[in-house]
Amino acid sequence: MRNVSRWATSGGAVLLVAALLLFPSVAPNPYVLSAGIVVLNYAVLSTSWNFVGGFTGYISLGHGALAGLGGYATGLLVVKAGLSSFLALFAAAVLVGLVAVPVGFAALRVRGASFVIVSIAIVLILLLVFQSWASFTGGSRGLVVPRPFPDLSRPEHHRAFWYLYSGLLALALLAWWLVDRSRFGLGLKAVREDEDKAEALGTPTFAYKMIVFVVSAFFTALGGGLYALWFGDLDPVFQFSILSGSYLVLMALLGGVRNLFGPVVGAVVVGVALEYFKVSFGDTQLHLVATGVLLGLVVMFMPDGVLPALAALVKRLRPDDSATIREETAEELRDRRLANAGDKR
Amino acid sequence: MASDLFTLDGVVAGYGRAAPVLRGFSVSVPAGSIVCLVGPNGAGKSTVLKIASGLLEPREGRVLINGEDVTGLGPQRMLSSGVSLVLQGHSVFREMTVEENVRLGAYTITDKAKIAERVAFVKEIFPVVADRWGALAGLLSGGQQKQVEFARSLMVDPSVVLLDEPSMGLDPKATSTVFEQVVRMRDAGTAVLLVEQNARRALETADLGCVLDLGRVHISGPAADLLADPQLGELYLGGRPTTKESH
Repeated sequence: MRNVSRWATSGGAVLLVAALLLFPSVAPNPYVLSAGIVVLNYAVLSTSWNFVGGFTGYISLGHGALAGLGGYATGLLVVKAGLSSFLALFAAAVLVGLVAVPVGFAALRVRGASFVIVSIAIVLILLLVFQSWASFTGGSRGLVVPRPFPDLSRPEHHRAFWYLYSGLLALALLAWWLVDRSRFGLGLKAVREDEDKAEALGTPTFAYKMIVFVVSAFFTALGGGLYALWFGDLDPVFQFSILSGSYLVLMALLGGVRNLFGPVVGAVVVGVALEYFKVSFGDTQLHLVATGVLLGLVVMFMPDGVLPALAALVKRLRPDDSATIREETAEELRDRRLANAGDKR
Repeated sequence: MASDLFTLDGVVAGYGRAAPVLRGFSVSVPAGSIVCLVGPNGAGKSTVLKIASGLLEPREGRVLINGEDVTGLGPQRMLSSGVSLVLQGHSVFREMTVEENVRLGAYTITDKAKIAERVAFVKEIFPVVADRWGALAGLLSGGQQKQVEFARSLMVDPSVVLLDEPSMGLDPKATSTVFEQVVRMRDAGTAVLLVEQNARRALETADLGCVLDLGRVHISGPAADLLADPQLGELYLGGRPTTKESH
C-alpha cells in the first residue's frame, strides 16, 4: 500500500508540474489564464490552510483574513515604505508570521467549535480595523498596489504571475510534504487524532500547534501578497471575508485534507465551478447556489474528499494482501509467515 | 524474588473533596514480575494506576521507583522516569499506521539509534506489530490494537508498565493472546502492574496478586496461592477456586 501511495504522489507531482508548465500555452485567451491564476491562488491558500487543518484538525475560518493581511501588508510596504514589490512580499509574509504568534497564542488554547469562533472573530476585527483606519489603509475606497512589471502587456503580466504562483504552490507543497514525513508531522497528526493522548506520550502539543500555525500564516500571507501584486486593487470587504476563508476549508475538505494534493484538487473543482457558474449566471447569486449543489453532491458521494474516494476505489480493485484481523497467537503468526515464505519459494 | 522496583506506600487518594477511594493502599512490584490487582467494581483499582502513572496526586503516601521518591510527578515525568501506562479500552491512534503509533511511544527519545533499537525489540516481542507495520491501526482487531498499545508503551524502555484492564471488550481468544503478550513483556525484563476485571485469568498469568477492597489491600501474596484460596474464590473470583493444574 505504501508503494501505491508513493506512486500516487509521484504521479500527482508529474501531472501537476505538466499542468503548471503547459497551461499558459494552451489557455485560449487572457481571461482563461486570469481565471487559472484565481484557481492557482485558491490552491496556494488552501494548501497553506492545510498545514493547520490537515495536520492538527483545527478548522480555521480566519485564513482568508491572513491572506488579506498579507495582501495589505505587501501593498502598504510598496506604497508607504517604498520597498520593491517582491521584497515587500517577503517582508509582509514575515510580518504576518510574527502577527500569527500572539494570534495563535490566544486562538490555539481552545479547541473545536471555540477555535472556529475565535478564528471568525479575527476576520471581523481585521475587517473593522482596515475599514476604519482609512488614512493608512485606504478604508472602503481600497488600496491600489502598483504592478511589479509595469512594462508587460496584460497577457504577459498574467503569464508571469502564473509562473510565480506555480513556484509558490510548489514551495508550499514541498514544505507540507516534508512536514508530513517528519517527526514534527507525526506529533501534529497525533494532535489531530487525540490531543490529550499525544500530550501524555510526550508530544509538546501547544508548541507544535504554534509552529505549524505560523508556517501556515507565512505561506497564506505569501499567497495573499502575490494576489495583491497581481490584481493591484484591495478592498477590505473582500480581503477580510469569512466567505473566502470558508472556501479554503471547503476546497481542502473536498479534495482530502490528509493528502498532499487534496487541497489542490479541491481548489480546481471549486475554483473552476465558481468561475464557470459566474460566467453562466452573470452577476446573479445563482453561481453560489450552483456551487452549493456541486459541493452537496461531492459530500454525499465522497464524504472524505475526492482523493480518498479515488484511493478507496483503487484499493477495492486491487487484490487483498495476506494480512488478517483474525486473532492469532505469536506461534500461529510465525507458522503463517513460514508457510507464506515456503509458498514464495 | 528480585528487589522491589516500584512501590506505592500508604497511599490515600480520591477525587475532589469526596471521601478517599484509596485508604492507605500499599503494593510493591518486584523487577521482572507481573503483579495483578483484582477486586470488585469501585474497589479503587483504576485509581491505583492513576496514582502510579502521575495522573492523580495522592493526598498521603509515597510513590517510589527503585527507592527514589517520585510522588507528585506529572504523567510526562513519570514516563521519563520509566513508568508507562496502557489505558483501558482501545487507545491507539486509529487513523495512523501501526508504525506511527509505535514511534509515538518514543516521542521523548531523540537518539535515532536508540529508537531503531527499540523498534526492533518491540517487533520481536510482538510479531503482529511487525506483521501489520504499515496498516492503519484502526483497521486491526481489538487484540491486535492492544498489542500495538503494548508495543508503544515499551518504546521508552520502561522499567514498569501499568496495564489497565487489557482484556476489556475482547473475545476469549483475543484475551488469551493479550495475556500471552503480557507474559512476553515480563520475560523480556519489564515489570508489569496489571489491573484486571477478569480476575481468575489475570491471577493465572501473574506472579503476585493483590486483592483490593474498599481502598485497602484485603489480601496479597503469590498469585497461585490466591487462586487456590477457597474463601477468596467465592468472594472475588466468581465461584469455586481452581488451580492452574485444573485447566
